[in-house]
Amino acid sequence: MLWLDDAQNLICVSKIVLHTIKIIYQTSFFMKHLNNKLQLLLVILISGFGYMVSCTHDDSFPPPPASTAVVVTHGTNVHLPGNMTAGNATEWKLDKAHSSVLWSTSYVAAAGLLTGRFNQFGMHDVTAAKMLNYVTTGQPLLDSSWAFYENEPAKTFFNGYVQINQSNTGEPGRDAGCNVSGLGTTAIVAGTQNLTVTNLAKIKTTEVKFDPLSADYIVTLTLNWQGKLTAPLTKTLTGRLKYIAKANVGGTYDVFGLQLKFQFNCRDYGITSTSIGDKIDIECNMNFNNK
Amino acid sequence: MENSFFTYLELLELMIFFSGYTLIYFLIRVVAETGFVKRLFKTNISFLLPYAYALAGMLYLGLQLKTLFPDYSMQHIRLSMQVPLLKTWALLSILFIIPAFAKKPFFSLLHSLVFFFFLVRDLGLNIFKGSDGSVLKNDMNIYTYSLLINMAAFVFVLLVYNLFNKLRKNKAGQNG
Repeated sequence: MLWLDDAQNLICVSKIVLHTIKIIYQTSFFMKHLNNKLQLLLVILISGFGYMVSCTHDDSFPPPPASTAVVVTHGTNVHLPGNMTAGNATEWKLDKAHSSVLWSTSYVAAAGLLTGRFNQFGMHDVTAAKMLNYVTTGQPLLDSSWAFYENEPAKTFFNGYVQINQSNTGEPGRDAGCNVSGLGTTAIVAGTQNLTVTNLAKIKTTEVKFDPLSADYIVTLTLNWQGKLTAPLTKTLTGRLKYIAKANVGGTYDVFGLQLKFQFNCRDYGITSTSIGDKIDIECNMNFNNK
Repeated sequence: MENSFFTYLELLELMIFFSGYTLIYFLIRVVAETGFVKRLFKTNISFLLPYAYALAGMLYLGLQLKTLFPDYSMQHIRLSMQVPLLKTWALLSILFIIPAFAKKPFFSLLHSLVFFFFLVRDLGLNIFKGSDGSVLKNDMNIYTYSLLINMAAFVFVLLVYNLFNKLRKNKAGQNG
């Protein structure tokens, strides 16, 4: 049957060849009777149509996507306390009445948050020589141990302190009771600011740098506190600083804010109370004005 | 014809040298009939078209020789040919350098229509059968290069023709 297949193939090929010759003949006949301009138009139309159809942009590289990198712009504000001279608009003062130092921890390390605040705090570098009892109802020390450079974080620094026995959870029985013994401090003496070693927790920044992912700053700081230990312990921690930019208030004075958040482990400081969790979150909301 | 990648490549080679001639042919025919061009060259330059086509054919032959280098044995030629019929047909274009063949430029057009047909075929397949658009896109790129090659070939032939004309006139002037 092989010869039959070959014969069929030959017939098929012959038919194709004849058909092709016929097409070429008809085309040449058709083309001879068309003038050149019309033929040119026809070929241009075919070519143009080919270009149009083929121009799908399928293989074109799409434009690069917008950068996913966070674009952070920092202003150039510089805030310095100077001598905190009243009326000097270039010297910034801590507005303690509108500031706060808040703490929170999970209750019994299992439930919701237990929160509180420190009624007395400040922004002074309390050296050993200054760790005293100050008989005053106001700030015992000038809140001037800080500097903030919005665009030069390396030059930014701050010191802060809280008086441990001034922790306020809104429950006087607890604040003046188990809190005092549980935190290894002494009871409040009316009219006295207790900055002695057992009642003082201090922070001091060692490095401030830009957060690459936000407009915030990453702060490395030390927390110095005795707690229930026999001597103060200094631990290095990392926190996040947010700058709330300078704004004018009623055309009379300016304000700005700094918010620092960090966390520490109270067990490091000998705190054994099971009412609170290991991790204590601290949030410092400091507001300043240039009145 | 084998439906292989190498066949496709050889077809593209053929298209790049010959498919653009069709458009160039009609373009030159139309332009050559304008009064300005006739006055400029003092003749209908469309008679040079077959020579330009033959030049394209020679360039194609050059490419084939370069591809075959250094082994020009029949065995190597046979092995490296995927579309022998089309290649032979393409190389026949060189015959248009012979004045007897060049007398009828229309034949060079008919010769090139075979390669233009592949472009039309792919266009038809794309429109009516929704075939892969990248084939047509590739064809059109090749077609663009072909237009450039054929136009360049014609310009070259025209320059050579003018140069010879001037030399001949100069020689005639000296003799006269």
